[in-house]
Amino acid sequence: MSELSARYEAKAASTRTRHTILVHVLRYGLLALPAAVIGTFVLWPLLMTIVHSFDQLDGLGHVTGFAGVANYQALTASPVFGQVMQNTLVFSVLSVVLSIGIAFVLAMLLNARALSASRILLVSLFSPTIMPMIAAANIWLYFLAPQFGVVDEMLGWLGLGQFNWLGHPGTALGSMIVLFVWKYAPYFTLFLLAGLQAIPPEVREALRTEDPVGWQSFRRVILPILSPVIAFVTTMAVLYSVETVDPVYAMTQGGPNNGTNLVMYYLYQLGFNYFSWGQAAALSVLLLVSLSTLSGFALIVLERRTFHWQ
Amino acid sequence: MAMIDWNRGKRAIKWSILTIIAVLWGFPTVWVLYETFFTGAAKWGFTFDNLVQAWNAAPFGEYYRNTLVIVLGLLASQLVFGVIVGFILARYEFPLKSWVTGIFILQIVVPIYAVLIQDYQILDSLHLLNTLVGVMLPYAVSGIAVLSFRHAFRSVPRELEEAARLDGYGMFGIFRRVYLPQAVPASLAFAVISVTYHWTDFLWPMIVTNTNQARPVVVGLAMMAQASESGMQWNLLAAGTAIVVIPVLVVFMAATRKILSAFSATFNW
Repeated sequence: MSELSARYEAKAASTRTRHTILVHVLRYGLLALPAAVIGTFVLWPLLMTIVHSFDQLDGLGHVTGFAGVANYQALTASPVFGQVMQNTLVFSVLSVVLSIGIAFVLAMLLNARALSASRILLVSLFSPTIMPMIAAANIWLYFLAPQFGVVDEMLGWLGLGQFNWLGHPGTALGSMIVLFVWKYAPYFTLFLLAGLQAIPPEVREALRTEDPVGWQSFRRVILPILSPVIAFVTTMAVLYSVETVDPVYAMTQGGPNNGTNLVMYYLYQLGFNYFSWGQAAALSVLLLVSLSTLSGFALIVLERRTFHWQ
Repeated sequence: MAMIDWNRGKRAIKWSILTIIAVLWGFPTVWVLYETFFTGAAKWGFTFDNLVQAWNAAPFGEYYRNTLVIVLGLLASQLVFGVIVGFILARYEFPLKSWVTGIFILQIVVPIYAVLIQDYQILDSLHLLNTLVGVMLPYAVSGIAVLSFRHAFRSVPRELEEAARLDGYGMFGIFRRVYLPQAVPASLAFAVISVTYHWTDFLWPMIVTNTNQARPVVVGLAMMAQASESGMQWNLLAAGTAIVVIPVLVVFMAATRKILSAFSATFNW
């Protein structure tokens, strides 16, 4: 009897180990395909980009020798690079400040009533957010068209002359900032609104009775509660503005005179127009370091404080 | 009494500022739609002429089919991989787990823009340039989906699983009956994010495709815009834009609040 039970036990144990091994194999097997996709299209390209940035590459992208930091030197020495960096800086700073500022005003105005507002108001406010950037850029291209466009027509009514908005570096970059703010300010509003919902109603009520004007309560209570959301939204705005490329392609192709050439478009040009793959790899590495740091930061903010992913 | 009036006045000011901003924000789109439908040979009359002309000027039917395949194909693959990986990460302990999680977080943190050129060359060596599969492959697994399903599955109480086991369900049955229903809200929110992202994505599909057979509608529109800009066919530009914008607007009008809350419930990179 005891012998029988011992045999039964042993058999059960061996089935259990075999079962465990099978489960392990299944588990790793299921993870293998998705991990391989990321390995092929994120991890490997990441490493190769870093390696190639120190290599000499021919027009087809084949390695012809070791370059040291020559690619980085050639990249940063070119006057276009300086221009592109300046454009990107101006574009990003103004876009981020204006879009977050307007998003804040909108969030305060909508406050808790956001989703009970009339549909027509929501649709017109958020329509730029949901359409593709290319379509948004086309709308502004049409809007700013010399002679034809509404803007020129309106200037005509006021007795002012026509102006080629996209034909001058300053106004062309300005138009792109307007486009960015138009498209993204309402989008950022959504996140700020979600942050405002997190303020408990009792706190809101207490603030209303104690400080009806609102400035002190805004500064002392609302702003600190919102600060992680603001940090997250600002990081996202910086990422989006640095990654802006669609409107450059659709509206100006980087012109006039590289006046609207932003860093992502320049990367595209370096690779696919000029075939200087070495410099393109060097620029990719610079972008990689800065953008990954930013999105890593956003992810940490998000995980830790706002949305409780863990 | 005075207090009430003051409050009412404040609210009126708030709503008028909001209305002004909303009008300003809506105006460009409305204007393009107006120009599409109300200008042409016969000034001041409703017409489909511009729309028809634009539809014939570029293969929009083909573009839309490509977009549909890309967007739905990606959504399906991201959901399937997201559910499987999210479930394994939420429910099991195994060696190197944090490294595996790290790979999926890497996908979120590394912007595709920085590895664009390498991805292009990899597709080239796989002979997948200019194909729909090529457009989709680098996005086939989404780290955001993995993280949000992992979160959804973690919130399932273990007692529920034990109860199902006592009822005689195997691992797959438990997964299907206990865990999968918990993934539905997360899937819906993720679907909104994924569809919006991939249907508006431009640079990657533009680089990968060079003929109409794999071009999504956004890339087609950009190509058309360049052609019409150089030829000064502004009515085509407006109508082409309308072809792209009208379907989104219709969907958005039908489900305004659902879409907006999905946006703020999670996030978009």
